[in-house]
Amino acid sequence: MQMRRLQPAFDGLDVVFVGVRSAYAEEVPGHRFHAVRDVTRWDRIGLAILVAQLTFILMRERPHVVVTTGSGPGMIALALAKCLLRARTMWIDSIANCEQMSLSGSRARRFCDVWLTQWPHLRRTGGPDYWGAVL
Amino acid sequence: MIFVTVGSMMAFDRLILSMDKWAQAHADSEVLAQIGDGTYRPSHMRWTRMLPPSKFQEVVRNAVIMVAHAGMGSYFVAAEMRKPIVMLPRLAVNREHTTDHQLHTLKWLRERPGVYAAMSDEELELAIAKAMTGGSVAGAGFTSFAPEPFVRRVREFLVD
Repeated sequence: MQMRRLQPAFDGLDVVFVGVRSAYAEEVPGHRFHAVRDVTRWDRIGLAILVAQLTFILMRERPHVVVTTGSGPGMIALALAKCLLRARTMWIDSIANCEQMSLSGSRARRFCDVWLTQWPHLRRTGGPDYWGAVL
Repeated sequence: MIFVTVGSMMAFDRLILSMDKWAQAHADSEVLAQIGDGTYRPSHMRWTRMLPPSKFQEVVRNAVIMVAHAGMGSYFVAAEMRKPIVMLPRLAVNREHTTDHQLHTLKWLRERPGVYAAMSDEELELAIAKAMTGGSVAGAGFTSFAPEPFVRRVREFLVD
């Protein structure tokens, strides 16, 4: 939903979407869409399946840039894209996190070229940076 | 019609139970609830587990108000469709979410037009009454996309 609000930034580019529900494909007509498993941090088997799915998608699509607004699956996708493909990566922490960066956002930091919060008061020297918000 | 949604698949039985009671007390009102993975099955309102995005939008379009968890996705849908939205935050202490970020979200989101906050179940009744009569919809002056300067910087990174 927050990514959709950034849609004009993707105009004319070759974009592939990954989401946790196959029904979300209807939100991005005309684009390739892959559904992956949604996992919580306690689900180890689910996590293994998710990593396999994301690795397969990344090796097939070979993106130059990976952008995510979270949460856990987005963080893992960024980490894999950075380690496997040396892709350029961007984390945009959800606007819902107005008191602190999300846990997955904090963890994503070392896999990110651009690490953003959507709240100016959470910006720090050395990151996260603040470029604006989707609202 | 009043549309109730827990937003994602993650259960939020407290909202659904409260709204089922509300529907019982207001039998003349039509209520439809999307309950996700919840275990409580409503008996006084129509319900479904999950609607695909296209169907979801159609239901919101036909709704008088939305009653939802305090998730940004629900707010954006209400704003796009220019509907009043009542929001009840998920709480970590009830294991309704991993953190209390919905509580924090609602503290600023409630300042926006068309957002009626119910900080607890007891406040739902009043928040719904206000939303039904308040006349203000979410998303007055709302645009479909993020502000242009933010979009431009993201674009510059993508094409760099």
